[in-house]
Amino acid sequence: MNETPAPAIEARNLRKSYRELDALDNVSLRLESGRIYGLLGRNGAGKTTLMSILTGQGLPSSGEALIFGRNPYENDETLAKICFIRESQKYPEDFNARQAFAAAALFFGNWDQDLADRLIQDFALPMKRRIKKLSRGQLSAVGVIIGMAARAEVTFFDEPYLGLDAVARQIFYDRLLEDFAEHPRTIVLSSHLIDEIANLLEHVVVIDKGRILLNEDAESLRGSAVAVTGSREKVDAFINGHQVLHRDTMGSLASVTIRARLGDTERAMAAELGLELSVVPLQQLVVRTTMAGTHNLDNTEFLEVLK
Amino acid sequence: MSRIINVAKMQMINRWTFLGIPLVILVGSTVMTLAIWALLPASARDGELYSGSGQAIMWYFLALGIQSLTYTFPFSQAMSVSRRTFYLGTLGLFAALALGYSILYYLLGLLETATGGWGFNGQIFALGWIAENNAAIQILFYFVAMVLLFMIGFWSATVYMRWKATGLLIAGICFAVLVLGLLALVGLNDAWAQVGSWFATMKVPGLALVMGVIGVALAGGSYLTLRRANA
Repeated sequence: MNETPAPAIEARNLRKSYRELDALDNVSLRLESGRIYGLLGRNGAGKTTLMSILTGQGLPSSGEALIFGRNPYENDETLAKICFIRESQKYPEDFNARQAFAAAALFFGNWDQDLADRLIQDFALPMKRRIKKLSRGQLSAVGVIIGMAARAEVTFFDEPYLGLDAVARQIFYDRLLEDFAEHPRTIVLSSHLIDEIANLLEHVVVIDKGRILLNEDAESLRGSAVAVTGSREKVDAFINGHQVLHRDTMGSLASVTIRARLGDTERAMAAELGLELSVVPLQQLVVRTTMAGTHNLDNTEFLEVLK
Repeated sequence: MSRIINVAKMQMINRWTFLGIPLVILVGSTVMTLAIWALLPASARDGELYSGSGQAIMWYFLALGIQSLTYTFPFSQAMSVSRRTFYLGTLGLFAALALGYSILYYLLGLLETATGGWGFNGQIFALGWIAENNAAIQILFYFVAMVLLFMIGFWSATVYMRWKATGLLIAGICFAVLVLGLLALVGLNDAWAQVGSWFATMKVPGLALVMGVIGVALAGGSYLTLRRANA
């Protein structure tokens, strides 16, 4: 009878087929509660489709979506624990931001009006202007404020930074971490910009063409590779035996990203050889790892889009 | 249950759309009608005057049906409201509103009769063939008419949301075929005289019943359509 508690989010063999393509192709996931996840992938990779099925807003062609072990579809009790504001969220005609927040306060039991008020000030969001007249960044701010102030047990942010300027984005990241520290919950940030949110993430899920390519702890991912730079022969000798994720050469110089956790001896050896070891940014890592894992991807294209 | 009531509250956050505009339509159309009557030459004012302006609000319910779904349903999804809860809260609210306006119609009809047709011997609210019935039947008739118009708008908007223009087109064609089929049935059986007398004897309660049945059918259809709709 010693059952492990159901994960906050679980997908079992989710498939979503449209006439011409599989938006989701056999997606299975288990995300434990109380962490911040990054759902990363290119535009059209299936991020929004996956999130809308996980939140009961969309329907899969087959497979199961579970939140705390329950299917959220048409299940108000489970839905009450979820908040998912789409990137392209529609608001009632003629609603202004204050009215949207008033509605959110009705439905989200943990709604924190003080937090909402503070965020409204932070983002300098006009409250009396109709939502349909707001700029892209202000529209994102409305979604971000609802997502944060709702304090739902499972919160999804769909490309939350779209149109926000650098200051507003930083405010969002800072406030999210502050609030998460005080009120731990399960947060999924979907994004095609990885570096920007890399510091927030505890776990990374990469999706492409409807398939999960990578599902790994951010910390172990960060330490799982290293870039070795120096003269070509010395680099080649040093990396011998390791899996190469990426190679750049310029004349007699080479910079090679390898999948390896280097020990002290290896680091000392690299120093001896005059090789430079550098940490690979999460974005690079995700790109390299996913490219190494799938040969059918157009590498440069993938890299470009992720940038 | 509380979430269903919250859906009604959410629909009412912008009161202007559901209370303000209909009242403006009501007052505006009535004042216009009275002004037109006042402008008529004395000879034309002989006898009773009729106006259809009282229907204006009823037609607004068609627009309300479309709006309450198109704009508010996708938002209700973001508020983590199930489709069923959204449906019950929205229909419940608009049924209550329709009942309120029906009672208002009835009261205005009484006022109209008491003031000698607003001093013009006119009929806007207490149309003779409806006003000859008792209060309950009058109110029921107005109520059913408004709910029916609301459901037509709501169901059409749901079909559009789920199947886009193709769905609406197919639904329209099906409706046309159905009507043609009924007409053909009557024509082939040489039954026009019977149908005519049936309509003549049906009167207000019968008409309310027919509209009520169609309204309920549309309500059921709306729910089944909405259940698997994606915002």
